[in-house]
Amino acid sequence: MELDSLKYAWRTLASRPVPENSPGQIRALLQQRSKGPVAKMRRNLVGELLLILVTYTPAILFYFLEFDGKLSGIAWLFILLVIILAVYFHRKSRLLNAMQCAEFDICSSLRQQVDTLKRYIRFYVRAGTVMIPVMAILSWLIIRWKFPRMPGADLFYRISGSPWWQHPLIWLAMLIPVTVGVYFLNVWYVGRLYGQHIRKLQDLLREMEEV
Amino acid sequence: MQAPHTQEEFVKLVQEHRAMLYKVCRLYCFSADDRQDLFQEIVIQLWRSYPRFRGESKFSTWLYRIALNTAISNLRKQRIRPSPLDVNEMPTPLQDMSYPGEEEEQVQQLYAAIDRLSEIEKALVMLYLEDRSYEEMEEILGINQNNLRVKMNRIREKLRKMTKEATYGIR
Repeated sequence: MELDSLKYAWRTLASRPVPENSPGQIRALLQQRSKGPVAKMRRNLVGELLLILVTYTPAILFYFLEFDGKLSGIAWLFILLVIILAVYFHRKSRLLNAMQCAEFDICSSLRQQVDTLKRYIRFYVRAGTVMIPVMAILSWLIIRWKFPRMPGADLFYRISGSPWWQHPLIWLAMLIPVTVGVYFLNVWYVGRLYGQHIRKLQDLLREMEEV
Repeated sequence: MQAPHTQEEFVKLVQEHRAMLYKVCRLYCFSADDRQDLFQEIVIQLWRSYPRFRGESKFSTWLYRIALNTAISNLRKQRIRPSPLDVNEMPTPLQDMSYPGEEEEQVQQLYAAIDRLSEIEKALVMLYLEDRSYEEMEEILGINQNNLRVKMNRIREKLRKMTKEATYGIR
């Protein structure tokens, strides 16, 4: 088959009537939700944000209002975590915005999508991994600060019988394997979520760039 | 020229260019439901990008960019995929069968041929069949004109090979 011979059929197609779309139908389309992959990622992000707000807000209020405000430090800790998470969500949202731009030529658009998705995945893995030791350390500090004489606060001192300066080392010995495990868990999870998508985009880009 | 960015203007432009949008949907989707979803997605993306359209390129160029970008990177799992290569639905030389009564068959053969191309090749073929210049194709696809010509030759060769395989069983 010659490519030029397809033109005849293409012109036949062009001469056929296409379905009418009334202005009302097109306006209705504009009100509907996008079903594209990036729009879904954005909706998931909003879902995560809502989940954080729904779970953290009662906890913050509880520690502010109960115990005569003596445990308000824990509420502030939660607020600090919410601020850290807000930065995390903001960064993710900006990356999704960059991914959704369809106005460039197709090659540039694919390149931008691949680059942005890689950055998104890197950020996802790093942030998801770093949050574990950060939260553990903050929790430890709050326990030491608020419950210095409670059983458990000096857990590692009692276990090891070692001087205070060795406590962080014991914490590190526990945190490092957990953090490494969480890192690989995150890598596996983002691979499951976005691996196929990014491979497809890379294949398309490779095809466009090859001579 | 600053383009008017009202919803009314936008709706009018979509109505005017809907034939082109339908062609893109038909090229990239195999079922009516998928086509409808893609049409909706393209319209949403066009509307999202419309405020930034400054008239620096032709409206049709801008439209092709967004429609093809959306179709190519949409990457949803399609409900129906074309069946494996079948001699009966393979393209045969269309110039030999240009009878008015066989228009439908020709169109089906056209799609049977295009459905077996990659997503990028489909975009190239569509722009070629729409009589877009290489300059405009470069602007839409971001591939330089020399590479475009090389790729078009490869597609020609691929189509010839597909015809041979279907007609004579040569692989």
